[in-house]
Amino acid sequence: MPAPESAQAAAPALSLEGLTRSFGSLRAVDGISLDISEGEFLTIVGPSGSGKSTLVRILAGLESADSGRLALRGEDITRLPANRRPTAMVFQSLALFDHRSVGENIEFALKMKGVDPATRRERAMELLGLVRLPEAYYERAVTQCSGGERQRIAMARALASDPEILFFDEPLSALDYRLRKTLEVELKELHQRTGKTFVYITHSLEEAMIMSDRIAIMREGRFVQLGTPREIYQQPVNRFVAEFMGEVNILAIDDDGRGARYVGLDCAAADAEGAYAVLRPEALRPDTGESNKDVVSFEAEVDQRLLLGSRTQYHLHVGELRLIAEVSAGGQSDLQPGDQQRFCFDASSVVWVDD
Amino acid sequence: MNAGQKFAAPIALFLLVFFAAPLLIVSWYSFMPPRSFSLTGTPTLANYVEAFSGGYEKPLLWSMLGASLTTLVCALIAWPTAKLLHAHVGRAASVVTALIALPIFISESVRLFGLSMFLMPRGGILAGSLNAWFDIQIGSILNTRLAALLGMIYVYFPFTLFPLLLGVSLIPEDRIEAARDLGAGRWAVFREIELPLAAPGLLIGALLTFVLCLGANAEAAILGGRAVTVISAAIEQRFNYAQDWPMGAALTVLVLIVTAALVWPALRRIDLNRLMHR
Repeated sequence: MPAPESAQAAAPALSLEGLTRSFGSLRAVDGISLDISEGEFLTIVGPSGSGKSTLVRILAGLESADSGRLALRGEDITRLPANRRPTAMVFQSLALFDHRSVGENIEFALKMKGVDPATRRERAMELLGLVRLPEAYYERAVTQCSGGERQRIAMARALASDPEILFFDEPLSALDYRLRKTLEVELKELHQRTGKTFVYITHSLEEAMIMSDRIAIMREGRFVQLGTPREIYQQPVNRFVAEFMGEVNILAIDDDGRGARYVGLDCAAADAEGAYAVLRPEALRPDTGESNKDVVSFEAEVDQRLLLGSRTQYHLHVGELRLIAEVSAGGQSDLQPGDQQRFCFDASSVVWVDD
Repeated sequence: MNAGQKFAAPIALFLLVFFAAPLLIVSWYSFMPPRSFSLTGTPTLANYVEAFSGGYEKPLLWSMLGASLTTLVCALIAWPTAKLLHAHVGRAASVVTALIALPIFISESVRLFGLSMFLMPRGGILAGSLNAWFDIQIGSILNTRLAALLGMIYVYFPFTLFPLLLGVSLIPEDRIEAARDLGAGRWAVFREIELPLAAPGLLIGALLTFVLCLGANAEAAILGGRAVTVISAAIEQRFNYAQDWPMGAALTVLVLIVTAALVWPALRRIDLNRLMHR
């Protein structure tokens, strides 16, 4: 009996309930619960060893959970083996079948379903177009393709059987910076064009920020924070998340000789010991004499000036405290290493986090 | 002559004298008149005509059949064994591997006589034990073709297993996972991924086993009794008892042709470098 439409729309694409997996004494995945909605681009970010790969392998059915439940549109698939799940994964290694042609790789899932060769070929051509590869690649050996092309073949192969959900296990990590940037955009476009649910694993929060609707930050088998890229950027829940964002200033308040007091920041806002003030580089600016009680101002020495195109990055120090400031290029006066300069920031731009 | 050629010269000379020359002599002998002992007779095809009409086709066919069956059975047993050994790398796997490899260091005849004693009727190890402990009386397959086949499988199994073990290790785990993820069941994973990727190892193992079995003689002699005459036994008889060297040479050449017809195309398909992880 088909479920009523409203109920179907309400069921999440994928529902994780208390998934746990241990290897020996190590709890790789420690009670993860999450609802992934239809058509969402969810990224799970974490350092290596955080359990993110194990989690996605459980979702794909390549690893079994010790406990917990996994439901696809409300239907329990916890015990369903990988080959019977209507999901597909793009592997970190891509795991292309080197002994088969590009076409045979893409058609693999259809062949497994018993689709006839003519229809398979037609679908493969369509997919080659979708991932922006010429149709002539159909006959080509996979081993003759470049890194970016292999990437696209892997995506086409995963899409072939029209899976409900696509999993990506750090597929771009082996590529060089420029190619990665290109493919990040293509992947986002692919998500928009196919309208499918994407679950993406990466260790790069930057990559996650670019592509995702929601980001889950994982550490030691648990989610530390779950939210939109904006929420995570603006309101990191703790120091771990803040550090994960890369170039941010993290000021400890009870660290002798360094920390928040150096810049004259009022630490009353921090309510607990071991708290940190997170200060984004773009919140810092040269003080042009604005006197406002909400603005914190301090004298610093410029150590380094880095031109980042549209912005200029200054590495500063105040006593032993090192800070990074970013200002849009061409705005204020250009500072040189060795210059003494007053910098300031809005007290309201500080985010207080715990360890 | 450059340095490479100089270094290759001793081995080239060795192969020329002890491999190519005897081969040439045997080939030439096969065209000599029957029962002659000289290399200067008028070349004739009489020996080859005799080979296909004088009852020699039976030993040749039996040897080929025996070799094929042995290769097939060995491959069927070796595949799951190799998969298991590869999956459980560690102490247990090393012990099992050693147990399979150790008998190679014991004389083949000793092992075959051991198997013969095991299979003997009435007082043999198998029949005797079953009778003494369980009061079960069984006959014996000793001195039948089956016993000879069993002996060949027993002796040549390691020659299938070890190259296959290397072949199985060439299958990356993630390819199997990718295939499963894309909807392949066990059988499809085997057919589409494992078999083609392990093919070089399987092919080398099968070739080794087949070629060794084709020339095998002791199994039929010790275990098969008078039930079978294999081609190598027939050749030996021609050279020794019958003193018909040209006939023996012709049969030898036929075995060589069969071997070459199998080995040559197979070796051309194998990328030895890939197998050596280079």
